[in-house]
Amino acid sequence: MHAEAKQHDFEPKIVAFVCTWCTYAGADLAGTSRMQYPANVRVLKFPCTGRIDPVFILRAFQKGADGVLVSGCHPGDCHYMAGNFHARRRFAAFRALLDFVGVDLHRLQFSWVSAAEGGKWVEVVTELTERVRAMGPMLEFKSLEHEEQWSAFQAMADVPGVVNTPELKEAYDKI
Amino acid sequence: MNAKANKNQSSCIEPSYYQAVTQAIRTQAVQVLKDGTVAGVVGYLPGRRKGTARPALITTPEEAEKLIFSPACVNNLSVYLTKSKKGVLKQGRIGIVAKGCDMRALAGLMGESQIKREDLFIIAVDCAGVYGSRAERSESVTEANIARKCHECTVHHPEGADFVAGAATELSGLTPLEAEEMARIEALPQAERWAFWKEHFSRCIRCMACRQVCPFCYCEQCLCDKNRPQAVENSPRPAGNTAWHIVRAMHLAGRCGGCAECERVCPMDIPLNLLNRRMAKELKELYDYEAGLAPAEKGPLNQYKEDDDQSFIK
Repeated sequence: MHAEAKQHDFEPKIVAFVCTWCTYAGADLAGTSRMQYPANVRVLKFPCTGRIDPVFILRAFQKGADGVLVSGCHPGDCHYMAGNFHARRRFAAFRALLDFVGVDLHRLQFSWVSAAEGGKWVEVVTELTERVRAMGPMLEFKSLEHEEQWSAFQAMADVPGVVNTPELKEAYDKI
Repeated sequence: MNAKANKNQSSCIEPSYYQAVTQAIRTQAVQVLKDGTVAGVVGYLPGRRKGTARPALITTPEEAEKLIFSPACVNNLSVYLTKSKKGVLKQGRIGIVAKGCDMRALAGLMGESQIKREDLFIIAVDCAGVYGSRAERSESVTEANIARKCHECTVHHPEGADFVAGAATELSGLTPLEAEEMARIEALPQAERWAFWKEHFSRCIRCMACRQVCPFCYCEQCLCDKNRPQAVENSPRPAGNTAWHIVRAMHLAGRCGGCAECERVCPMDIPLNLLNRRMAKELKELYDYEAGLAPAEKGPLNQYKEDDDQSFIK
């Protein structure tokens, strides 16, 4: 009945921050309509896209997400009148900031998916999953999690003037 | 060689200019304190060492005779008027000595209802520039020792003040260092940009000086200090540092007036003003908004238009 699930070397973790009124209902519709989409996506429900703080996106990346999707009501359809308009400006600015800091924006997707657009939800999720899969794991934030302040000094071990004794190295390796 | 020497000569503000400004500030401060217009004046007094200055709250005309303005007056005094410093004076109108960049912070704070215009007596300074954080403090400001932010200053001549000390003067022919640096970073490949910021953020010791000195970081509880739930790790590790600096830049987007105090006080020399400037540039491009030129009821991220750009949204 179902197509045989294809085995991939890498299954990306996608975190989706969605608004409860539109995209969550849209994703629900996709489910009740038995549409197939990658199981890589973890849906987190929020009252509104206006509630989604850029910090959440950062935190998702830091805690191991390979891609993040933010999705809500189409402009003009917001349950709270203007939440998504505010979110639109905030995320436009946040994207620019992430880009400047050197984060690959292909891993971050924004979309408007209404409660009636189960098909669009499937399309958005599939496209993001495949794109992130092709890009491989997001290592930037994850590797930061495992680093300490002095890691940078380790990298500069050969640079004269940087204190780096065998004892320090041993202590560092023990951490 | 000769041309260079000439250029340096032309871009140098004579010490006599600062003396004239100092005199004007003193006269004005004494006057407003004597006639009771203000209960106090936030200004600069000479520091203990030669060529330094320190912020001070003056409440008597005698003390006001000691006020100065010199290129060492780097501080943005508007921070003393914010909630986070619990207000320097409990009651009464207050005078403040403000450079052009500080005026932008004052305008921003007024827009955010943190201070009222009628509670202020702004003694603005037609500022020609101040010393950079590590520059040699000679008698006058030159291209060699001027602060980076002053290279691209657009607010030499403050507007909307109660009194302006000094008259139109500015250094000419300065290279826009920060704009050049920003363009350089923007042109780097994405991975190198990440490496650039990673190196800088990793050095951060989370002393929070950037937050303490910022006129706009007046929240009583900072999001980044919360630990239930914790939004940003608060120990000085690269992961938390990166998050902190991104969150900081995001929270200042559309508000920062560009006084670059964060960068000046940073003990680890992280180029924080680059992030602020990048956000300011983006908001100017997207929404044609510049922070702090006049008190605005709503910043660019607190308002919207129905036809805002949404090309990045699927």
